[in-house]
Amino acid sequence: MDELDPVIHAQARLRVVAALSTLREGDQIAFPRLQEILGMTAGNLSVHLRKLEDAGYVSVLKTHSGRTPTTLVCLSRRGRFAFEEYTAAVRALLDGPQ
Amino acid sequence: MGDEDETPFSAADSLRLIEEQRSTTQRSLTPDPRLLYWPWGIAWLVGFGLLFLRFGPNGRVFVDMPVWLPLSTLYFLMIVAFVVSGVAGARASRHMSGVSSLTGALYGWSWFLGFAGFIALAVRLSPHLSDEWNGLLWAAGSIGVVGLMYLNGGAIWRSRDLFVLGLWITAVNILGVIVGPGWHSLIISLGAGAAMIISGTFAHLKPGRWF
Repeated sequence: MDELDPVIHAQARLRVVAALSTLREGDQIAFPRLQEILGMTAGNLSVHLRKLEDAGYVSVLKTHSGRTPTTLVCLSRRGRFAFEEYTAAVRALLDGPQ
Repeated sequence: MGDEDETPFSAADSLRLIEEQRSTTQRSLTPDPRLLYWPWGIAWLVGFGLLFLRFGPNGRVFVDMPVWLPLSTLYFLMIVAFVVSGVAGARASRHMSGVSSLTGALYGWSWFLGFAGFIALAVRLSPHLSDEWNGLLWAAGSIGVVGLMYLNGGAIWRSRDLFVLGLWITAVNILGVIVGPGWHSLIISLGAGAAMIISGTFAHLKPGRWF
């Protein structure tokens, strides 16, 4: 289990990344919607997103929808790649040493 | 706060977590296809059905009812369908942004503009047509626009199922036009109305294949 990306391999962050992975490249989800889908508190989600953002896996864009401030979130290219690698590594572990 | 993160979990748990979360997310972000298609299927099945029964081929009246009832029913049910499917679509895409949102918005506007274009023509021609041909114009024109929009939607989202639905509706509409007023209503009611209900059911049972 040491080979698995420690940034992703944590239950909450894995869920965040998995959820974001369903978005197409070029699409973003607003923070409240992501929070609702994941069933996390705002504070919780913020912490996890911060860690993912620090690792360069997630893009967090603070913008405006009309006059309302909005935070838009999506996986970065690097994040997508990291998630693919992580999933492949997990599958490899499950398939066992060949 | 970080408690959840410290709990060790297995590779199998990991895959399961991924699949569950992806599935939950996709379900939330995708409108319920039953709400997108059934209301229209019901509107056409019932609306065009009544049109056929009251204004049958060659002026036959299969079931007597007030002259205004079939069209009023059709329009009323279509308004209901518009609201239900519109709300379902909007709810699913709320708080989303980016390329897909733009595509969706433009597609939505296309529906409106496409119908505007057709209605402008139909309104102009209407006074010059007898009742039965006027009826065919409005019915076949509207269904024609719908078929075209589904074909376009299939192209935009590379959805074979949506394209096939558009193809079927277009084909059924052409057949109805060829057969003529009266019969057109029956063909749309059964052919297109049923197709919409089947599509909604199918898309619901096989999520992920639709788009």
